[in-house]
Amino acid sequence: MTLLDFARGPGLQWSLIIMIVGLCWRVIGVFLGRWRKDLSRPRSDDLVQGGLRAIITRSAPAPELEKNIRFQHYTGYIWHIGFFMTVLLYEPHIAFFKSILGFGWPGLPSHLVVIPAAITLAVLVMLMIRRMTHSVMRMITRTDDYLSLIIIISTLVTGLMAYAHMGPRYETMLALHFISVELLFIWIPFSKLAHMFFWLLSRYRIGTFFERKGVKA
Amino acid sequence: MNVTSTAIDQLQEELGALAARAKPTDMPDEERVARAKHVFVKRISMGLAMNLESCIDCGMCAEVCHFYMATRDPRFAPVRKFEPVRRFYRRELTPLRWFNRLFVKDINVDDLKESQELVYDACTACGRCDMVCPMGIGISETVHLMRESLAAAGLIPEELRAVDQEQREKGTVLGVGPDQFRKVVQELAAEGIAIPVDKEQADILVLSSALNIRLFRQSVAGTAKIMNKLGADWTMSSRCFDASNFGYLSGDYPAEKTVTLRIIDAAKACGASRVIVPECGHAYVALRWHGANMLGERPPFRTMAISEFIGREIEAGRLRVKEIGNGKSVTFHDSCRLVRHGGLLTEPRIALRALGLDLKEMESRGRTAICCGGGEGSNYISKAEPLRQRAFEIKMREVDDTSADSLVTSCDSCRYNFMTKGAKANWNHPVESLVELVANNLAD
Repeated sequence: MTLLDFARGPGLQWSLIIMIVGLCWRVIGVFLGRWRKDLSRPRSDDLVQGGLRAIITRSAPAPELEKNIRFQHYTGYIWHIGFFMTVLLYEPHIAFFKSILGFGWPGLPSHLVVIPAAITLAVLVMLMIRRMTHSVMRMITRTDDYLSLIIIISTLVTGLMAYAHMGPRYETMLALHFISVELLFIWIPFSKLAHMFFWLLSRYRIGTFFERKGVKA
Repeated sequence: MNVTSTAIDQLQEELGALAARAKPTDMPDEERVARAKHVFVKRISMGLAMNLESCIDCGMCAEVCHFYMATRDPRFAPVRKFEPVRRFYRRELTPLRWFNRLFVKDINVDDLKESQELVYDACTACGRCDMVCPMGIGISETVHLMRESLAAAGLIPEELRAVDQEQREKGTVLGVGPDQFRKVVQELAAEGIAIPVDKEQADILVLSSALNIRLFRQSVAGTAKIMNKLGADWTMSSRCFDASNFGYLSGDYPAEKTVTLRIIDAAKACGASRVIVPECGHAYVALRWHGANMLGERPPFRTMAISEFIGREIEAGRLRVKEIGNGKSVTFHDSCRLVRHGGLLTEPRIALRALGLDLKEMESRGRTAICCGGGEGSNYISKAEPLRQRAFEIKMREVDDTSADSLVTSCDSCRYNFMTKGAKANWNHPVESLVELVANNLAD
């Protein structure tokens, strides 16, 4: 079995299994924790609507707070959008998804997908430097933050190198790209990257929490 | 009866001497840590767990925190203020704790001691960070959990501890008890302002506060004038007139519960359908939002802040005020506890509009209002004074930017903070109470 065979076969399967089981374990485990019913008389009757609204409205800061967090807010959007464009619109990726899911979708020409991938990489490197230099970021950053960044960056670097036929021979580079993605899958449930699920839950929760008080959160 | 600088000076002097009155809470370090952990285990529910699972360490919370904005001290980043509970959760409670234990250090007494400054001196749990977090984390409630753990570990700052102990053990706050309350009632009666005290049955139980009795008696008078004008069936309890809850402020949960249940019992005893909390943000939160949970069921009355009551009575046309605007402009300071943790955004503004005042809003208002730095008992902590002064100056600049003739607020702690911090900064902007403004301008 070559490295590429491993990466495309058992490596991929096991990393996906670990990700799915780990995420279920973590999310369900939190839900199985103690629920505390708030007995206070709510100011609003529609807590569910408040929760759902917060899922949407928390996507942008309140206008008067925007100037305080402009950098983090917009860089966050840029790299998330760039990353998902790269994952979902690159033709070879779509072909790969099709082989698993049985259906595909239109993509962008490869040379165009390189642009969001490169921008994402640049932003992530910038964010990494900021974590190392900004006084607050340095103080609150944990190993998890650096590892998460490094793993995501490695998926982009290996992908771009494979695309540009740089580094070792193509098959090896492609295998390394697969392995970096598999590392990402494995790391997700153990790290802050689980926010890919928790963001929905915690936004909903804060929405209901403040809706009870009559505050649009 | 107006607030005099002498009365303020006396109170400040007394607050400065509070630390000496605090009884020691010595215990071995291991016990402090064990007690803090016990609070974490007991209090972390699914909602708090969600807060602790979701943080991505983006640091946005720091950028809107007035303590960080004023100092640029990275230690004051809100997310850092609950680092010990986060670490404990990751090691002991999260579903993946077995993995995290390999990397996450256990908390120790130094972590708790370091947290004291962060959660008492450098945080008013104002909740502005709650409003910016892209993950929707309830940061202020998690910081309050830290206060609870420190309280259990005997690490409440001395001044706050002294008042908490006084209220828990004697039922008085800053020496204000039933005798001082009755004296104020008599003084007001001599001025023709009647306060029905200890009625056996009443529709409305009105509360006051030690700060009102000590400094802002006009606020008590104003509330009485409004109630009498409405012809309300109301009373005040001489044994339970004080809505202040230093258990809540200091994180002393058992003490908070004692004070809250005492008020609930008094309201039940007179069959009140409404309990009116004075101009005091934290007292409102303690009774309005925590009361039912302390009692274990919804109490048989509604809790209203006095500003909420006034706004609704004006809106319903039952309370009429004179239009005194005549070109006068005001800006309104939203107390964090009343607006962000209470939802009372519109009611005070209804009153100001009815008075015909030109309301000039601050840049940060309502749910994103900047805290004045006087909340959550921080006014009592001497060593936090310079830090709070710097945080206050952000608010001061926002007020100045409105060019309003005066500042109106509906929280006595905020009002006291504006008066004392403003004086230190040679900022002599008029500060008015909403209740007093309304009461002094009731229509015939």
